[in-house]
Amino acid sequence: MLVRRQARLVTRRQALLGAAALGGAGAAAPLGMPTIANAAAAEPIKIGLLLAKTGGIAAQTEYLANGTYLALEERGNKIMGRPAELVWYDEPSPQGSQQNMQKLVQEAKVCAVLGGSLSSNGLAEEATAAELKIPFVCNNAAATDMTGKNCNRYTFRLNTPVSVQAEMFAPYIMDYGKKWYFITSSYAFGQDIAKSFKELLAKAGGSVVGDDSVPLNTPDYSSFILKIRQAKPDVILGGLTSGDLSTFLKQWNEIGMRGKIPICEIAIGDTDIWSVGTEAATGLFTALWWYDNPADPPEEKAFAADYLKKYGKPAADKAWMGWIAAKSLFESIDAVKSTETEAIIKGLEAWKGGTASSPYYWRKGDHQMLLKNLVVQVKDKIPDKWNYFDVKGTVPKDASELDKVFGDPVAAGCHMT
Amino acid sequence: MLDVILSQVAAGLVLGSLYVLIAIGLSIIFGLLGIVNFAHGNFFALGAYFALTLFQHFGWPAVILAPILVGLVGMGVERLLIRQLYDKEPLISLIVTFALALMIEALLQLIYGGIGQPFSQPPMFSGIYLWGPVLITRYRLAVFVTTVVLLVALWAFMQFTPFGRILRAGSRDPEMVGLLGIRLPRVLTAVFGLGCGIAGIAGVLAAPLWMVIPSMSQGAIMPAFVVVTIGGLGSFAGAVIAGLMVGVVTALTIQFEPSAANAMMYVFMAVVLLLRPRGLLGERWERFE
Repeated sequence: MLVRRQARLVTRRQALLGAAALGGAGAAAPLGMPTIANAAAAEPIKIGLLLAKTGGIAAQTEYLANGTYLALEERGNKIMGRPAELVWYDEPSPQGSQQNMQKLVQEAKVCAVLGGSLSSNGLAEEATAAELKIPFVCNNAAATDMTGKNCNRYTFRLNTPVSVQAEMFAPYIMDYGKKWYFITSSYAFGQDIAKSFKELLAKAGGSVVGDDSVPLNTPDYSSFILKIRQAKPDVILGGLTSGDLSTFLKQWNEIGMRGKIPICEIAIGDTDIWSVGTEAATGLFTALWWYDNPADPPEEKAFAADYLKKYGKPAADKAWMGWIAAKSLFESIDAVKSTETEAIIKGLEAWKGGTASSPYYWRKGDHQMLLKNLVVQVKDKIPDKWNYFDVKGTVPKDASELDKVFGDPVAAGCHMT
Repeated sequence: MLDVILSQVAAGLVLGSLYVLIAIGLSIIFGLLGIVNFAHGNFFALGAYFALTLFQHFGWPAVILAPILVGLVGMGVERLLIRQLYDKEPLISLIVTFALALMIEALLQLIYGGIGQPFSQPPMFSGIYLWGPVLITRYRLAVFVTTVVLLVALWAFMQFTPFGRILRAGSRDPEMVGLLGIRLPRVLTAVFGLGCGIAGIAGVLAAPLWMVIPSMSQGAIMPAFVVVTIGGLGSFAGAVIAGLMVGVVTALTIQFEPSAANAMMYVFMAVVLLLRPRGLLGERWERFE
């Protein structure tokens, strides 16, 4: 699978040759050379994809990429009737992601970029998108500041911000009690979760009985679990990322703690739980989408069926997130019939998806996608290695409350420039 | 407070025992071959993946077959790749083994995908022991006991067998060993396979505890280098002591300053090197000076 995608990558040399050819065609067009102008029109439309290819987050990015490619294949690999292709570069680190975004724009000549698998990368990439004036549709990162104080008019973000998910999810957690133990990753995503939930817990009169900030890629959680066991909380509020959450849950079960203290976390991926195995999985989580949700509209059920047919396994939530982010971008370019930055931004701002009862769209004020979130719980008895969740609720219940639930962009610090 | 510290020390010793197993192979390879093997953590990951795959066909005997297979892969890598590096600049071996590490990780991702593979401990090792304040799971205790048995067996092998004597002599003066009529290239192949096989055992033991993902080597390789450096390059006993100390230091840091848990082993290494520049039990090796 990796080879297939790598084969689609444009090498530096090819990119330079392509850029030279494009530059030549662009220069020649004003001189009235119709043959060359037609050749330029036949050039494929290139869309950049910035997703990590290795590391703990690779489990999620595999599905994000699959969903993105499927969205293009469903359209016959065409946008505006012209051939289109994805150019996938890695996200090795925030700084490396910025460099790769620059390469995508300046060397591969993409007209927009999809990606942003981690909050730290997404925050860095959105700054580069503004600098390069390129539309950037972030399909995974959840850091509040992306569409808060760091927002810019070139960046559109799909995932619901941490602070909003916290507001949505807190009432469900309060049902377990108000003595919370925090175990969060020591980077943007985990810190955001700790800050947002602590504020809500304080308002509700609850108490923090433990608060561990955990280094990324921690391989052994036994000492953390011993601390949690000693603290005897009502509930554990997790803010661990991807593979770290899976490792924690695996060792939580191994130490015999599964079922003894509830575990809750927002913005997880299905793959985080699929990796744990049926014996060890547990918890209450938020999700944007679940393949076995009876309430999914027909279009999304068709996507799930297509995905299953193509990849031989159910679509994870991240596959849907890759698919819907890409679909909105491709349809927006189609609608405005242009690959110019300003036109694409207008197209995205006007784009609408979903159904009347469950719509989703990019809000103009902060370019945040407004959509209902799900609260899902791991089943007591898991029937197969994919079907782990029961949908416990949809937040907000009424679509008319979406704008209110997501809060005022200006109050969140977003001043679109 | 003593209760808490005792619990964390027990957890740290188990973690440290895994670090010891990973580091011992690295130390043996460096000691005899003079190669700093950046791909060592990937042989650890191969152990976990081979166990996972073989388990589907052979059941629990897979836990013995997997490290053997890793050892054989290691021997193949030595014949094809590492052998070309013995008379080259040390920097070349760093670059080549780093590339090998990336290649193995990419291969695992290509074959198994990026998603973690569920793998649990055998049912007979489920459950916990509770001695006063000290909690330890049956499986972790089994990992600790297995490590101790393996280390004793390895030590006896190195001390009392003719092959072990060749290894020890070869690590000090390979030229002299060659002059005595011993075919050193074969010995080197076996040593690289042995080091990789031990990493494979660590991978098998870690599979039910850690996430089995292509990048799992990253959680193993840095502690292994730290342990080997603290213990003294090429020192068997040094690696054992250092591994257990790193595990305990990490566990105690989690209790008191969790965000510094990973960083503390580097601080510990810096302190040890300031006091003993060759590591705890490191000696002067003429061939590396």
